[in-house]
Amino acid sequence: MEVIERYVYAVTQRLPEKQREDIAIELRGLIEDMVEERSNHESSKMEVVKEVLIELGNPKELAQRYRGVNNYLIGPELFDSYLTVLKIVLFSLLGAMGIVFIIQSVVYPVGILDHFIDFIVSIVSAGPSAFGWVTFVFMMVEYSNKDKAQDSKVEKQWEPSELPPVPDPKLDIKRREPIISIVFYVFAMVLFLFSSNYFGVFVFNEEEPIRVIPFLNENEISTYLPFILVILGLSIAMEVLKIIFGKWNLKLVVFTFFIHLITIIGIIILITQTSFWNPNFMMELTEAGIVTKGSDGYQVINQIWTHSTNWIIVILIIGLVIDVVSGFVKSKKG
Amino acid sequence: MSDVTVHIDKVMQELRRGTITIGVLSQLSEPQYGYSLVSKLNDKGIQVEAGTLYPLLRRLEKQGLLMSEWDTNEARPRKYYLLSDLGKQVFQQLCDEWNGIVSSLDGLLKGEGGKKNGSD
Repeated sequence: MEVIERYVYAVTQRLPEKQREDIAIELRGLIEDMVEERSNHESSKMEVVKEVLIELGNPKELAQRYRGVNNYLIGPELFDSYLTVLKIVLFSLLGAMGIVFIIQSVVYPVGILDHFIDFIVSIVSAGPSAFGWVTFVFMMVEYSNKDKAQDSKVEKQWEPSELPPVPDPKLDIKRREPIISIVFYVFAMVLFLFSSNYFGVFVFNEEEPIRVIPFLNENEISTYLPFILVILGLSIAMEVLKIIFGKWNLKLVVFTFFIHLITIIGIIILITQTSFWNPNFMMELTEAGIVTKGSDGYQVINQIWTHSTNWIIVILIIGLVIDVVSGFVKSKKG
Repeated sequence: MSDVTVHIDKVMQELRRGTITIGVLSQLSEPQYGYSLVSKLNDKGIQVEAGTLYPLLRRLEKQGLLMSEWDTNEARPRKYYLLSDLGKQVFQQLCDEWNGIVSSLDGLLKGEGGKKNGSD
């Protein structure tokens, strides 16, 4: 009877391939036994089969019982943090894109319809990938936890003296810190992805429409984009780990240090490329009438502009040193 | 459903989960196939559904407590399960453990029950 085959298939296709055939034969036999036992002249065979299948229950649940362990992509322990991070990322993505849309509409109001279409398109394209990446990070954490859980089963003797000390409340990571960071990184991502040309000096002039002199080289930015996104993605992953752990421990300190180090090296490589910056920045400033060539103001801005790379590097390295020191202090306490 | 029945259901579910394994092992010194075991256990008052028992039999086999063999001579092929040597040992010890639990709990319940309902 076809419905029996369907039921058997619905159960076995959820099981590992090696067990499928064996379980299928057994299950078929069971259903036939049950049907035979219950058959009487009052009800048709079809009805009896239906009754038996309902008694055996939802094929999903039966397959689950055959598998024994629950297979989670993201288990109940992580699920709350997962939802939190997902909400933060998606809402800040939406917020950042909304801001981009508003800025574009203010700068160039005639194209508001185009900006709106861009807004919708970028939500449709970036939303699912943000969702995917967040899920991926959590999946990896879940996966590594699973290995640990199996290791702990192998541990033979449990030693009370080996219990880790109760962590100092000072080591709590306040939830809002990683949340703010994630919002910041998402905004930065949106900035680079969709509107790097609005990252610059805004020139307001009564007669002309608003003009933006970008800091970055618009023609080359797409070459650097994957690189930038990886750096920002790593930073977001790090903040996610902070939310999941909720406390500083040596492992987290070491881990965040390495991610910091990698991102800083990445940023330094990035900003020391001359093609990264807008090569005509000073010229465009002069054109826009903000500075006049040869004036003191021109000299100062030119100085700042040409040395900004070095300054950013200095700031980043100071940041890294602070990170190392505070990380060391934290791990000492923990 | 009242609160009382909800709580009782929960505890009973856990109790059954633990005892079914012992019940199954107890019936498998002779080879049995799944459905005959369901009927046998139900006849003796152990309520178990085929959907629970079949996966359990496989798990016990995987753990090495049961052995199995297909019988293809009958009208429909049936998988017969039988206690392995390991299964026999485990079952013996589980019986002792079970008797221990029964007598300890009896002791507790008689102390308590004496006050609440004298008839038992």
